[in-house]
Amino acid sequence: MKSEARLQRALAAERAPRRDPSFTLAVMREAEARRFRLQTANGVLRSVGIAVAGSAILVPLAGWAGSDPAGLQDGVLAAAGLIGLVAGARLMAARAGALLRR
Amino acid sequence: MTPDDEARLVAAARTGDSRAFAALVDAHQQAVRGFLRRFCGHWAEADDIAQEAFVTAWRKLAQFESRSSFRSWVSGIGFRIARDARRSHQRASLRDTEWRAQQDETEDEAPLEDRIALAEAMAALPEEQRAAVALCLGEGFSHSEAAAILKLPLGTVKSHVTRGRERLLQALETRDEE
Repeated sequence: MKSEARLQRALAAERAPRRDPSFTLAVMREAEARRFRLQTANGVLRSVGIAVAGSAILVPLAGWAGSDPAGLQDGVLAAAGLIGLVAGARLMAARAGALLRR
Repeated sequence: MTPDDEARLVAAARTGDSRAFAALVDAHQQAVRGFLRRFCGHWAEADDIAQEAFVTAWRKLAQFESRSSFRSWVSGIGFRIARDARRSHQRASLRDTEWRAQQDETEDEAPLEDRIALAEAMAALPEEQRAAVALCLGEGFSHSEAAAILKLPLGTVKSHVTRGRERLLQALETRDEE
């Protein structure tokens, strides 16, 4: 057999299978596992951040609340109003986005 | 797969459609794995690198500019991972032996002596020449595609393929004389 043909056959012997669902599955599993790990790490970081920020606010607030109960009441009402405003704005934005996507 | 089909799947995968990405993997795994098997010489290691290349591609899909084909882009990612990899070959070699033994039982495409001679000759080629040969002679990539994947001038790739081919043919002929 000519060398060129032998070379082609030897090269072809190293070929990967045309279809290999197990390889595709392995890729998708690995991708999913990494996405999950990343999401978990992000979730932990977010929780830690919220906990740190929360304690930074609550600790001084606890000291101040003892000395000024009326001020605390105003503060709580103002915070509730602010939260309601932000929630309403987010809801409106989500609905507008859904309408635009249609 | 037509370029239009590929573009549709890439667009869907970019929005997070994992089934579209799985279809891309399914369609292009043969070319990417074939190239890496010839480049690395170790099948199991090559398949691991191919898997890593596809996972990286999935993560960086937003950076894919569609100037090249998807398989060229993933092959380029695989090439860079393989080149930079400093891994233990022991585990991979063991799995290779098992895999090759299986192949020998089921396939009689090329004589084992020729395959061994080819593997040895490929391993002896300089890195870029080996990659160019694996892409163009092994998987049928065009010289321009190989140049884009390896980030080399077109003339350099052509010369790598010509010289590499000569050395592989010489290795087969030398084997006959022994």
